[in-house]
Amino acid sequence: MTNLSRVLRILLWLVVSAAIIAAFILSVRVTQPDFIKLVVAAPKARQILPQLFSPELFVRQAITSTMSLAFPIPCGSAEVGQPAESGPRLLAQPPCASAGETFRLRGENFPPNAGIKLSWRLPDQRALSIKRIATDGNGVFELEIQARPIAATKDGKPSSLEVETSLPEGALRPSPTLTEVVNAMFVTVFMALLATTFGTIIAIPLSFLAARNITYRGVLGKTVYFITRSFLNIIRSYEPLVMATIFALIVGFGNPFAGVLALVIVTTASLGKMFSESVESIDPGPIEAITATGANRAQVILYGVVPQIIPDFLSFTIYHWDINVRISTIIGFVGGGGIGYFLSQAINAFQYSKAGAALLAIILVVWALDFLSAEARKRLT
Amino acid sequence: MLRIENLTKVYPTGTVALKDVSFQVEDGEFLVVIGLSGSGKSTLLRCINRLIEPTSGRILWDDIDITAANAQQLRLIRRQIGMVFQQFNLVKRSKVITNVLSGRLGYANPWASLLGIWSHEDRQRAMQALERVGIADKANNRADALSGGQQQRVGIARALMQEPRLILADEPVASLDPVLAHSILQYLEALNRTDGVTVICSLHFLDLVHRYATRVVALKDGVKVFEGLPKEIDRARFKEIYGEEAEEVRATAVEVG
Ligand SMILES: Nc1ncnc2c1ncn2[C@@H]1O[C@H](COP(=O)(O)OP(=O)(O)OP(=O)(O)O)[C@@H](O)[C@H]1O
Ligand SMILES: [Mg+2]
Repeated sequence: MTNLSRVLRILLWLVVSAAIIAAFILSVRVTQPDFIKLVVAAPKARQILPQLFSPELFVRQAITSTMSLAFPIPCGSAEVGQPAESGPRLLAQPPCASAGETFRLRGENFPPNAGIKLSWRLPDQRALSIKRIATDGNGVFELEIQARPIAATKDGKPSSLEVETSLPEGALRPSPTLTEVVNAMFVTVFMALLATTFGTIIAIPLSFLAARNITYRGVLGKTVYFITRSFLNIIRSYEPLVMATIFALIVGFGNPFAGVLALVIVTTASLGKMFSESVESIDPGPIEAITATGANRAQVILYGVVPQIIPDFLSFTIYHWDINVRISTIIGFVGGGGIGYFLSQAINAFQYSKAGAALLAIILVVWALDFLSAEARKRLT
Repeated sequence: MLRIENLTKVYPTGTVALKDVSFQVEDGEFLVVIGLSGSGKSTLLRCINRLIEPTSGRILWDDIDITAANAQQLRLIRRQIGMVFQQFNLVKRSKVITNVLSGRLGYANPWASLLGIWSHEDRQRAMQALERVGIADKANNRADALSGGQQQRVGIARALMQEPRLILADEPVASLDPVLAHSILQYLEALNRTDGVTVICSLHFLDLVHRYATRVVALKDGVKVFEGLPKEIDRARFKEIYGEEAEEVRATAVEVG
């Protein structure tokens, strides 16, 4: 008898082990882990990673200044331009030419090592780009230019040589990417805030109805209790991602409203559950005492229950806002709008520097909210 | 006059906590209920203001049948019956003054009270109640910042707000040390003697019973086994109520008390 049971035990043990091993083999085959590829394909990531890790967040504003020199083609068709007396100045040698001839243009007293854009300003005000060059260490440049027939004087008006200097100077400015990322992040954070607010507002009454010590009384009370409980359990079993996708299909991809709707449901479900557990765990003593004074039900709840649950409710709500920011970044990926959507768009468009900025923003905001919500909750006890 | 007639309580679990209990309490009495743990003292007190629904029997207060009152009538009855608890049952996070004011909820305008608005008279009454139990200076402290004895005094002040004709006290001193026990019971005694409030109080220690009770009702397993004057509880009666091993309990009680 004992022998038989021992044999059975070993047999059972073998079957269970075999099942576990089979499950592992199956999961390896399904997920196809490819560590070789992880190493071999790494160089490919080398092109992407630098972009990802060097998001362009700030740019220097370039200060541009323009100066010009009238240059008659052919000579005598108009007055030659006079070089400026002081400061940066332009000199043409010779000061005029016939079409097709070449001349030398020299610039002096320009900022050293500055980028320069050289162009013709035609009599009809159209610009004709000539060349981009840079000044030397003394702020001087010199080059040979051909007098183009198109730049010929027209109706006594000569074309001018125009020099545009741009210096990377002035205050650091947020780059367009940064502005976009910040805007998208705001959308996400406020999506989460809006969803948390609405979710909380819906969850509070539901949590009371789903609390055994408040509602579970009489046939009506028990019915309400079970209906609310089941409702909360059912909506809790829906994945935010699935819901966000469905809502995005309805209201449009990239629309933050889709994300908000999905988050409201998630928040209602989980806060409803957490709140009702908090209500159920309160000290029944004060309720008894206040009921004994002849107070009505609403008064009992307001004076006996509410003061006991406020810290929990606030702390759960803050905590859930934090969670909602995380969920909403993910929801964004499936079309829920905000930073997640921005990130998915950037990756799809191979704009890895943009994606890097988005990732950085997500990390910073999630970390900051995590920290803040932990601090706030510490203060609530 | 309060008349308890054939009161029986059977809990849904099947426990018979009270079995056919009958007795009367005259106005102005200090009735003490004694009995072992689980004998049904708390159940009896809570049946009187129907915090617990009796299974059968009647409770008559003057001409009113408490057991037959509907929800609205019950609230009007309850507000005349103050209650004091072993665990004080204060809202710990609320201020002392708020706890005391909550004793007035049965009289207050329901809407104003839900907004936390209290009349000047009610606030004054609350301060007077706190003065009467000697802790007016704690009015704005959080209830859980007070010692056990102070918390029970807040409990009494809350009951005072009801201008009660009857006070139910369920082991009001069981979580306090013996010296504090006397100070708390003296407040109840003063209410009983000077304001003529009827007191029904359950107690554990026999010396306290002798000191404060005008009459005693004893329960054992939900059955009334004694009703009479404190001095009538002799050794034999005591054993009847508390069982054969009761000697030590009494000895300790007397020693500590
Ligand atoms: N809510 C309840 N549900 C089921 N049984 C209960 C309930 N409350 C009390 N009882 C039982 O009823 C009996 C009487 O309890 P009760 O609390 O009235 O006794 P007590 O004399 O106040 O005891 P103690 O001195 O411990 O407070 C006990 O057997 C107890 O287990
Ligand atoms: Mg008890």
